[in-house]
Amino acid sequence: MPNIQLDGLTKRFGDIEILHGISLEMSDAEFTVLVGPSGCGKSTTLRMIAGLETVSAGEIYIDGRPISHLEPKDRDLAMVFQDYALYPHMNVANNMSFALRLQKRPRKEIDARIREVADMLGLTPYLHRKPAELSGGQRQRVAMGRALTRDSSTFLFDEPLSNLDAKLRTQMRAELALMRQRVHKNMIYVTHDQIEAMTLADRIVVMHDGHIQQQGAPEELYKNPVNKFVAGFLGTPPMNFLYATIESQGDFTYLTGDGFSLRCDVPTLQRLANYTDGEICLGIRPSDLVFNPHADVTTSLSLRVDIAEYIGAQSVLICHCGNQKVMVELKSDTPITLGKQLTFSMALEDLHLFNPSNECAIPRLVDVEATRLIKTTGGNYV
Amino acid sequence: MEMEADMNTSHHNKGRQQPAFYALLVVLVLMSVGPIVLMLANSLKLDVDIISGTSGLLFLPTIQNYETALCDILPYEIDHLDYCALKFGGAFINSLIIALVSTVLTLIIGCMAAYALVRFRFMGRDTVSGTTLMVRMVPPAVLLVPVFGLWNNEFCIDKATWFGEMIRDTFGGRGDVCLAGTHSGIILIYIAMNLPFVIWILQSFIVQVPRQLEEAARMDGAGSFQVFFKIVLPLIKPGLAAAAIFTFRIAWNEYLLASALSDRDTKTVPILIVNNMSEFNIEWGVIMATGMLLAIPPIIFTLFASRQIITGMTAGAVKG
Repeated sequence: MPNIQLDGLTKRFGDIEILHGISLEMSDAEFTVLVGPSGCGKSTTLRMIAGLETVSAGEIYIDGRPISHLEPKDRDLAMVFQDYALYPHMNVANNMSFALRLQKRPRKEIDARIREVADMLGLTPYLHRKPAELSGGQRQRVAMGRALTRDSSTFLFDEPLSNLDAKLRTQMRAELALMRQRVHKNMIYVTHDQIEAMTLADRIVVMHDGHIQQQGAPEELYKNPVNKFVAGFLGTPPMNFLYATIESQGDFTYLTGDGFSLRCDVPTLQRLANYTDGEICLGIRPSDLVFNPHADVTTSLSLRVDIAEYIGAQSVLICHCGNQKVMVELKSDTPITLGKQLTFSMALEDLHLFNPSNECAIPRLVDVEATRLIKTTGGNYV
Repeated sequence: MEMEADMNTSHHNKGRQQPAFYALLVVLVLMSVGPIVLMLANSLKLDVDIISGTSGLLFLPTIQNYETALCDILPYEIDHLDYCALKFGGAFINSLIIALVSTVLTLIIGCMAAYALVRFRFMGRDTVSGTTLMVRMVPPAVLLVPVFGLWNNEFCIDKATWFGEMIRDTFGGRGDVCLAGTHSGIILIYIAMNLPFVIWILQSFIVQVPRQLEEAARMDGAGSFQVFFKIVLPLIKPGLAAAAIFTFRIAWNEYLLASALSDRDTKTVPILIVNNMSEFNIEWGVIMATGMLLAIPPIIFTLFASRQIITGMTAGAVKG
């Protein structure tokens, strides 16, 4: 597979710069997911790779060859569009074979290829139908089939599942993951849905306001977000943020905020050794909070439970800690009384710490060690 | 409850309105079909019968009028006619050539222009778009005199040049080779006349073609022309058909410009019909017969073209 590389990719519409020098390198046959809120520039990045948008500055390399001046057809890419974009006047077979017919491939080869792909996607009974006669999921599958018949080196997906209803989306996501196992190609996938990103990606690239915030394996990003945006974007329910001040009382240092006061342990103190600001932002994953009526006040939060959202095995509690909203995810059989002040404990090593002024994460010492190790061994940790 | 009441009233109204409604329909049908029936009936009568006013639908039909009208192309001798004065066949062929060629050219130029105006950003785009409609505002009568002058005096090839000589040798005639009196001269002015409307109507169809379809085609390896001919054109077929009907009908019916710009060999059917009315003799029967014959091609053309108008052509292309 060719190696795709973005170097300082910039996009301006008139005077407004919406992509500020994106640099990214994708590994061989990797499933890369560009994720971010709408307007973050992820779709524009994909469209620039596809050749549907011009590049204002910077360059795109495929196998070291600059391609930003090439027409889409000369880039050897296949793309699946958000709205399917099936040709309404052609039946499914002709939709899927359009590219091959343009290439004037022999009829036999085209037929064989169509049969193969239609078989794989379960489209064989529908080959003679027009797109208007298909359901949403089938259309989505045809759109994917059209990309697959191409046999390009790289597939681009522009929010392919966002038009499907929730159930179908889950199903198609699984099918995509399955296809991923069979087709070893470069895939670049754009979505605003962090669950899609987490489940499908080999590598997630989180974008915000035209910048790459962080990239890496899903687990890596979930465990060690580099800033408050990434921390808040990945994970459902989202991470809780609590503002606190660092206070020393006698021998101990406390992180004190509205309704809580956590006593720092030694690793946390070491983590804060170089941190001089008095204010700090705590990030707590809803799943890291454990209902524990007997917990010590210095390692727990006292929360007033307002609402319990029952999901099934898990429930999400929407609580208040002083004036700040906190969400807790726990097993549904935990005995919870609404409207009561309850105690939830947490391990301090699960705590994420952020500098409130620049929103950057204050990494754990183990992570700092790990980073140094990775950097010296040449891994691409950002 | 409210809806139920509504339904009751509407149902009630429908019952009460029915006789009046059908009466209205009958009037409408009479108004639209009546003249055609009258024309058909009269075209099958002798002039004597028409003028004497022994009207009604009881008469002995004759195809004499049709024979007179088609005297120049019928393969057999016509008994009731000494001399074939009416060159209907020739005019009919002229009309067909002019209407078809101008329609085809107008559509080809029109769809490409409309596509460019909708999809491409270029200098003067809005001006072009605006002026296409402006041209429509000028009545053809205003164009008549300047175009007549230009076609007769400006767009000529000198007969002394080799090219002019060649044309004269081939087609005969005297004087310089001018646009006036040729099929091309009339076709040209019809294209100019119909193009703005065609561009305008096709623009509204092209706007509806989802941009993503064109992008998908580009990703599939299509160049600009392939995108246009393989994706856009099939999708605006209903628009093309509507524009074709419109253009053909105008070109087929047009009288004013054709009367000034055609000569004896290139005159179209409408002009022939009017020429048939002299101050001494109006051959009603022949006029009616030519009228009937004149009506046939547009009907065939419209039936053929309207089969292309299928609504919902883009349904299922993209999620709406």
